Amino acid sequence: MNVFLMNRECEASPNADPIFGKNDLLNDLELDRILDSMAGGDSAVRDICSAALLHPLLSLEEIRYRQSSLRDALSFPQAVRSFYRAVVNAFEMKRNSWYWISAFPSVSTRYQEAVRLLDFYADVLRKLRGLADFYWDKFVSEGFGNLISMLRKELNDDYFREIRDLLFVLTHDSGILISASLGSHAQGVDYVLRQKESPRFWGGWLFAPVFTLAPRDDAGATDFSNRKDLALTDAADALTQAVEHIEGFLKKLRDETAFFVGCLNLRDALHSVGMATCFPSLHRGMEADRNWEGLYDVSLALLVDLPIIGNTHRSEGNLLHIVTGANQGGKTTFLRSVGQAQLMSQCGMFCGALAFYAPLRNGIFTHFKREEDHTMTKGKLDEELFRMSSIADHLVPESLILFNESFSSTNEREGSEIARQVTRALLEKGIEAFHVTHLFDFAESMRNFPKVEFLKAERFEDGTRSFRILPGKPESTAFGHDLYKEVFGGQVPDSEDETRKSNPVPPSSQAPK
Amino acid sequence: MFYSILFPSHDLHEQPRRQEAPECFRDLNILPIIDSVLKGYSAYGLESLFYTSLDDSETIRYRQKILRDLENLSFRDALAQRCQTLFWLERTMNDLKKMLSSRLWYENSHLNHGRILETADRYCEEVSGLSSELDRFPPDSEGLSEFAIYLSSYLISEGYRKLEKQISHLKEGLSKIRYCMYIKDSSIRVRPFEGEKNLSARIVSDFEKFRHEPKTVEARKMMGEPYSNHVEAAVLNMVAGYNKEMFSELGCFCSANRDFMDETILRFAREMPFFLAWLSYLRPLKASGLHFHFPAIQTSPQHLYCRDGFDLALATQTEGKVVTNDFSFDHSERILVVTGPNQGGKTTYARMFGQIHWFASLGLSVPGSDSSLLFFDRILTHFGREEKMETLNGKLRDDLVRFRDLLEKATPRSIVIVNEIFASATLSDALVLGRHMLERLVNLGVLGVIVTFLDELSNFNQNTVSLVALVASDDPSQRTFRIIRKPADGLAQAMDLAKKHGLTREQLQMRIRQ
Repeated sequence: MNVFLMNRECEASPNADPIFGKNDLLNDLELDRILDSMAGGDSAVRDICSAALLHPLLSLEEIRYRQSSLRDALSFPQAVRSFYRAVVNAFEMKRNSWYWISAFPSVSTRYQEAVRLLDFYADVLRKLRGLADFYWDKFVSEGFGNLISMLRKELNDDYFREIRDLLFVLTHDSGILISASLGSHAQGVDYVLRQKESPRFWGGWLFAPVFTLAPRDDAGATDFSNRKDLALTDAADALTQAVEHIEGFLKKLRDETAFFVGCLNLRDALHSVGMATCFPSLHRGMEADRNWEGLYDVSLALLVDLPIIGNTHRSEGNLLHIVTGANQGGKTTFLRSVGQAQLMSQCGMFCGALAFYAPLRNGIFTHFKREEDHTMTKGKLDEELFRMSSIADHLVPESLILFNESFSSTNEREGSEIARQVTRALLEKGIEAFHVTHLFDFAESMRNFPKVEFLKAERFEDGTRSFRILPGKPESTAFGHDLYKEVFGGQVPDSEDETRKSNPVPPSSQAPK
Repeated sequence: MFYSILFPSHDLHEQPRRQEAPECFRDLNILPIIDSVLKGYSAYGLESLFYTSLDDSETIRYRQKILRDLENLSFRDALAQRCQTLFWLERTMNDLKKMLSSRLWYENSHLNHGRILETADRYCEEVSGLSSELDRFPPDSEGLSEFAIYLSSYLISEGYRKLEKQISHLKEGLSKIRYCMYIKDSSIRVRPFEGEKNLSARIVSDFEKFRHEPKTVEARKMMGEPYSNHVEAAVLNMVAGYNKEMFSELGCFCSANRDFMDETILRFAREMPFFLAWLSYLRPLKASGLHFHFPAIQTSPQHLYCRDGFDLALATQTEGKVVTNDFSFDHSERILVVTGPNQGGKTTYARMFGQIHWFASLGLSVPGSDSSLLFFDRILTHFGREEKMETLNGKLRDDLVRFRDLLEKATPRSIVIVNEIFASATLSDALVLGRHMLERLVNLGVLGVIVTFLDELSNFNQNTVSLVALVASDDPSQRTFRIIRKPADGLAQAMDLAKKHGLTREQLQMRIRQ
């Protein structure tokens, strides 16, 4: 019995190998907050969602499959939560009322414990069947549809009758029946536990010859118990295995539904602050066309717990998107929103936007500015370049890299040159990149290349930010003096030209930005 | 027709054997050897074979040839295994026969009938296996070849064939029987098996749909037999109640075949260890480089010799690190007189002489690379015991009495070994007595070895040979343990020793300076 809610052909696992750069993605795109929201305090949900989010799908077909299951889940949240709850409750109850008494239980102890557990799990399965019955005509996706029909088919009434009958037979408080054949010296061998066929059973056995133990026959008592153990061993093994199998199935069910529970939690959280979600549309093709409408940073929305500004834009065939503009203008937030949306889309999830249309990317990487390396083993530039090199090792065709103020740990001239080299190579290889940067030189020099677009953080005349990112050419200043004025008060020279006039300074030693 | 692997004829086999070790064993240190050889074989009762020297050379040759055949290690091991199992089966059968006439109900039971059947089955397996081994390694010796022939004709005999068929018929019949036990509280009920459903299989199939991993077969740890005899016998009695015909056939088989095992084959299994134990004992010694061979046995004392001999007990103790020595008798030589320093290996030499002769007379392979030995009638020994000062006079008398007894028993075909007697007499008395002793021995014409401190005896007459235990030429305190033909030179040795310790007269004078 399989549960294929997330993928058509394989099962989800919290232990799947994460992609390269998992920690960078988690930190740079602030995914932890998103995962926390999905988890809602449940670590099993968090594990599955984390594994899924950090393992984006690479085929449109797989994404469509999962989206369809997710649509169903979003339509019937109660169903999904009920399935999840049923399994989680079962495990919790088991944890609370069962514990193996000794590390090496005897055969008959194992046997009895397993029978009791199976009885318990039979009830759990009955509950699941009940849920399947209730929702049988509601789900339309292949994933949930198959789950429901499988549960109804495999856990049908006949099956439960059979299980109940079996458990009754196994719960013998009276004697056990063993068949045997004769061994090399007529001793009993090949013990097999047999079923007592009532009522005919009693008729024949009542008149069967009998041997009864004398009251103090210790050797005989040991003999009896050894005999029973021998016969019960196979059955005990089979029962223990059966328990393991059922638990395995329930775990699968839990893990698969956990993902959708997580998505429900996230959607509910976002909608409750008035933020929209939508199902993205991905395409595969040489054109790197992108559209986004009302695209926002999901993690930020969860943090401030208020509606936040989204961005809207249309890009046709651009592989390089350079974003410049005022400090604290929302550039990093924008970059995050792009990364989150791309990642969530490729996990078959909805994303934080009114609409999102993007190409499928075979690899998603981030290269954000870091704090100084505390271990002092690398200088900052060294560290940046090292990180870039690691990314280069893992780049595959049609990847996406998000750069945030990269190569700025040196002066503008050097940094620009490095940025240029790297960016041109990426462009030539068809790798898409978003660059948030203050390196004016670099930005300018990319102007005449094909498939490049420029975006800017909007700034009004009075210096206030709108936090919107719109198309716009780079300016040589990031309007630091707006911030200076805000923080320090007082006036600052209006333009840099004025400053230069009064303090002639050779261009090469211009302070880096 | 073949009777025994130890003797070429029935009569020779029936000759009485000593049940006690001969007196010479103690002096010659043969007892530890026998103990080691027969370790693990105490149940076989082979001691008397080692205590009784053979007095016909035919048997000696008979045994030597068998030993030669057994030099093939895989053949020997295969035979050893079969013989051991047959011996064990014989004993098992004896126990079971006793139980058949027991008054305890659970001993005279179907379960024991079953055990008898199993024993019989196993017996057939071993016996035919034994024959296959003999086919695989056709022996040269008369003994083993004759046995192989006997075995082959036994296997095609009517009696044996009938036994095999009966066993097979019973096994087949019993294997078809299936029954059920109903165990509740403290009682067991038994009924025939009527196709009741297999519960374990039902469990597996009911939950198969949840399996997510391929089936792995867990190695089941082997449980010993769980039952205790009286319960299982009771169960089987109940089973027999439903299969009266089969079990009564089994019962008839058992009473009709109380002695189905062939006595000659059992005897073979019991007696083979005589050779097997000996060869096992020799094996580590051979591995450490010592030589063993089959001696030539001759009745006349002409040109007797042995090369590279050694004391077996000592060799085992030192794990093969022994010095080997020779002996020889030419022309009219009959008595070896061995002198030399203390702890020089003289007593060991004497023992070696005795041991080699003894084991040769049992038809076994002996230490050394080559030899021609006397076919003696008995070995008489007289080794000096520890002396106690108080009984000085008593000891001398004791020595003389014992020597007189020895002479009375000796014949010209005897071997006499004397070691350090008359040590408690004064030198002049000892010389007189010693010369008398030597004269009596020479007159008798015995073959012998005399170990003595009396150098003067070493060149008695043409019947005696002087041998000396050598010391290292550069360091007289070093023993070489080599005994060679040489005139006695005790004094010279003593002087060398004194020189080494700085105690010659000149040396001592130099040392005691005022």
